[in-house]
Amino acid sequence: MAGFRKVASVGDIPLATMRAFQVGHSRIVVCNVGGSFYAIADECTHDGAPISTGRLFKEQVVCPRHGARFNVKDGAVEAPPAVVPVETYEVKIDGDDILVAVD
Amino acid sequence: MNTHDILDMPGAEHQIPEYSPALLRGPEWLRGVRRRSRDLFNAAPLPRRGLHLWRYTDPATFLVPTGNIADTVVSEDQDTVIRLEKEHVDSGHLAALVTDLAGREIATYGAESLAKLGVIVEPLSVAVERHHELVEKHLYSLVDAHMGKFEALNSSLWNDGIFVYVPAGKTVEKPIHLLREAGASGSAFFPRLLVVVGRNAEMTLIDEYAGGPSDGDTYASVNATVEIIAEDDSRVRYVSVQRQGTAVNMYLSHRAQIGQNAQMLTIPLAFGGNIAKQNFGVILNGRGANSRMFGMLFGSGYQHFDNHTLHEHRSGTTTSDIDFKTVLRDKAVSAYTGLIRIEQHAKTCEAYQENRNLLLNRGPKAETIPELEILNEDVKCSHGATIGPIDPESIFYLTARGIERNEAVRMIVSGFVASTLKQIPDDLRERIGEFVTERLEGI
Amino acid sequence: MAETARAKQNAELATLGEDYATKYGFHDPVNYFHKGARGINHEVVEMISRMKGEPRWMADRRHEALDIFLAKPMPQWGNTKLLGEIDFDNIFYFMKPIEHQGKSWDDVPEYIKKTFDRLGIPEAEKNFLGGVSAQYESEVVYHSMRDDLKEQGIVFLDMDSALRERPDIVEKYFGTVIPSADNKFAALNTAAWSGGSFIYVPPGVDVKIPLQAYFRINAENMGQFERTLIIADKGSRVHYIEGCTAPVYSTDSLHSAVVELIALEGAYIRYTTIQNWARNIYNLVTKRATAHKNATVEWVDGNIGSRLTMKYPCIQLVGEGAKGEILSVAFAGIDQHQDAGAKVIHAAPNTSSRITSKSISKDNGRASYRGLVKIHKNAVNSKVSVECDALLIGEAARSDTYPTMEIDNDLVRVEHEARVSKVAEEQLFYLTSRGLTEDDARLLIVNGFMEPFTKELPMEYAVELNRLIELEMEGSIG
Repeated sequence: MAGFRKVASVGDIPLATMRAFQVGHSRIVVCNVGGSFYAIADECTHDGAPISTGRLFKEQVVCPRHGARFNVKDGAVEAPPAVVPVETYEVKIDGDDILVAVD
Repeated sequence: MNTHDILDMPGAEHQIPEYSPALLRGPEWLRGVRRRSRDLFNAAPLPRRGLHLWRYTDPATFLVPTGNIADTVVSEDQDTVIRLEKEHVDSGHLAALVTDLAGREIATYGAESLAKLGVIVEPLSVAVERHHELVEKHLYSLVDAHMGKFEALNSSLWNDGIFVYVPAGKTVEKPIHLLREAGASGSAFFPRLLVVVGRNAEMTLIDEYAGGPSDGDTYASVNATVEIIAEDDSRVRYVSVQRQGTAVNMYLSHRAQIGQNAQMLTIPLAFGGNIAKQNFGVILNGRGANSRMFGMLFGSGYQHFDNHTLHEHRSGTTTSDIDFKTVLRDKAVSAYTGLIRIEQHAKTCEAYQENRNLLLNRGPKAETIPELEILNEDVKCSHGATIGPIDPESIFYLTARGIERNEAVRMIVSGFVASTLKQIPDDLRERIGEFVTERLEGI
Repeated sequence: MAETARAKQNAELATLGEDYATKYGFHDPVNYFHKGARGINHEVVEMISRMKGEPRWMADRRHEALDIFLAKPMPQWGNTKLLGEIDFDNIFYFMKPIEHQGKSWDDVPEYIKKTFDRLGIPEAEKNFLGGVSAQYESEVVYHSMRDDLKEQGIVFLDMDSALRERPDIVEKYFGTVIPSADNKFAALNTAAWSGGSFIYVPPGVDVKIPLQAYFRINAENMGQFERTLIIADKGSRVHYIEGCTAPVYSTDSLHSAVVELIALEGAYIRYTTIQNWARNIYNLVTKRATAHKNATVEWVDGNIGSRLTMKYPCIQLVGEGAKGEILSVAFAGIDQHQDAGAKVIHAAPNTSSRITSKSISKDNGRASYRGLVKIHKNAVNSKVSVECDALLIGEAARSDTYPTMEIDNDLVRVEHEARVSKVAEEQLFYLTSRGLTEDDARLLIVNGFMEPFTKELPMEYAVELNRLIELEMEGSIG
């Protein structure tokens, strides 16, 4: 299991927003959904576009290029053209720190 | 391991300032080109990710803070490198020039024998003054600021480089070996190489990029340009060895132009770097010209390679052949895009291309895009590409004969890259074979 | 069919006019039931939806898609010069030729019936089709299906009727394979769609004879945006054929269809297209299929005519053991650019696919193959083979090959091959020395080159395709 790493502070990602980070070799996007934080790979499984430049609606992210939608909680595809789920990462809040498990 | 925000837009720190000292190097004509290249670089947006050659690599990787480019630090295994090169000169190379990527000479061997032939191997900054006509005629003739944002960066800021010249009719019998060392973490270098091979001349050039960090929080950055002009009837073998540390981001733009009946053999070998985007192109610019390319790439760990090759047939009755082999393990990624273009007036051309990818375990990703643009009917042209694992039957066959699995894998990989290894000059071949073996450890 | 009937029909097909202008290039003087203004905006979209009496969800879908269309830039790849010449403000987005669809050919106005007679549709229907849909401009003017097929529960309707009669299935599947935001032209289609086919095949039913739709553009500056949705339920089988033509005008028309196929577990869909557009048609089509567990989808795609075709039929293999095959030919004559290709997405284990592309570029014609093979990490033990063959005829003919292969796991086998060549001198010499004229010899070679494609077509269509190629080779079309 990969170790948790601090990527940001809770205050860095306001409610209903998301932000992208380079963590080691992985590019991830951390989303604030109703005060809970979720992390997914910042790469649309359809055409590789950075999802972080799209929009966040509740727990859905919408890819800016072709409109694919993923659920940030489990990575599931909720709208085409993507057909494969996006990778998710475990998130832990430690005080004010957002920690993400990325290998 | 570093964690940071994603850079969306290049900020002011990535612009080349108006009064950068680098812009003042060289004679007036050169300073003019540097300034114009700076303007183009500053004005150009980052290439769009969706675009053809940028689909697989984030262009922001190759931006560097232009403020600290002069912080030249030679990496630590410099002594080893010098010893190695001296051995090579003793064991068969005609000459070797070891420099850091700022072009500052560390050591030269065999200069006397070169001088006898009239061959020039010297820092580009020296050649710009001493061989002014040759350099002014050819520098920027194949790669300049109009080719792209990162070519503009090198065209503006190249700190120093190397100039190689072989006079018409001369044959350089043993390879000339250039070795350039990447800098320490956080440094940025802009090496440039200009090679001019006269009519009916012959040479083998080994262009090696080594050194640089393999771990740490900050990457070293190298943005290199290579221009090779091979005049009519010349015969050139050019070997590019990229074995820099895995914390070096490498951007390389290579173009060679070959004249009538000239023969060019290009051997790009890539083992190093964190993210390495390398673009090799040969322009066939005279009847009867022939270009062959034998490439090999070995990726391991988290390495990311993005290689392009180009064969552009601008004259009729020209022939080209590309054989590019990719071996990947762990989480390495390779994207290969190879274009063959035959212009409308270039009749009776033949062009072939093959890209084969061998994936050694479950983690790697391979992308291959072998492209053809054929603008007239009088051609023979084909390409092929394959991607797959080591054939389990071959492993079974070898292990059933008592060969250890590791050794079996090594044998299969050696067989896979044999066509490229065969083209490499003798004394270098053994070393390249060792690089491959090293990278197979623990597979 | 008896051999004599077949021979008679071949003879008829072979003599159906000598060139495109007389055979397909005529146009009818028409009093349209409705012909809106040129250009597209939210009012036009609302008008289309109201005239069709659609449910609100579809109207909302159209408006949302129009916003996407207006916001999306034109493609920055492909033939950007020709794409840049499309004048979206000069196009008629909706033309309703008649008020009510015909259930028999007698219900169809004489001038329209004559059009389809000249194209041989009623004859073909009698002889070898299970159902026919004939679309004229924006709407289907004639539709029928054999009673025995209806009795098996097969639904074959035009898309507008399907939305009225089977709103549940349409709402469930519409846009689930190709969303509006997929590309600019899919967005335009979703905003302005009209007509097209809807097919639902119940579980286990084998539709033994093909269903066909025929698309005809008659007017100048017409935009035809048919929308097709085919669902083959578990274990069912269906073969659908589409054909297209248009008259020759000096100004351009736009054909921009969206076709979605869904093959559920164990189902089989074959979709055959023989398009023969006039040289002033921009044909920018999005076609995509989803194949579930052990399902098979085949695209058989013949592209002749048009000024610019951009079409890359796609198969998404999302269920274990799914199979896909894409077989295409493209013929690019004078001033034409056929930018065609194929895409296969492997997203499940043990999936396999095969792409075979044949293209012919003649004179200054340009044929491009643009393809994508993507194998996701979970698609272990998958197999792909891609073969592209290009034949060049003429000094200025151009062929491009742009295949992309993206492979994310090692337990796969991917092979790609492409060849570009001209008609071999030796073959020409051999054939002419046996008494053939050079033209006939060249035609024979071209037919041989296309044979892997034509042999997959129903016999009647193979004959028709060979005839079209012959006309193209004579350079007499357009």
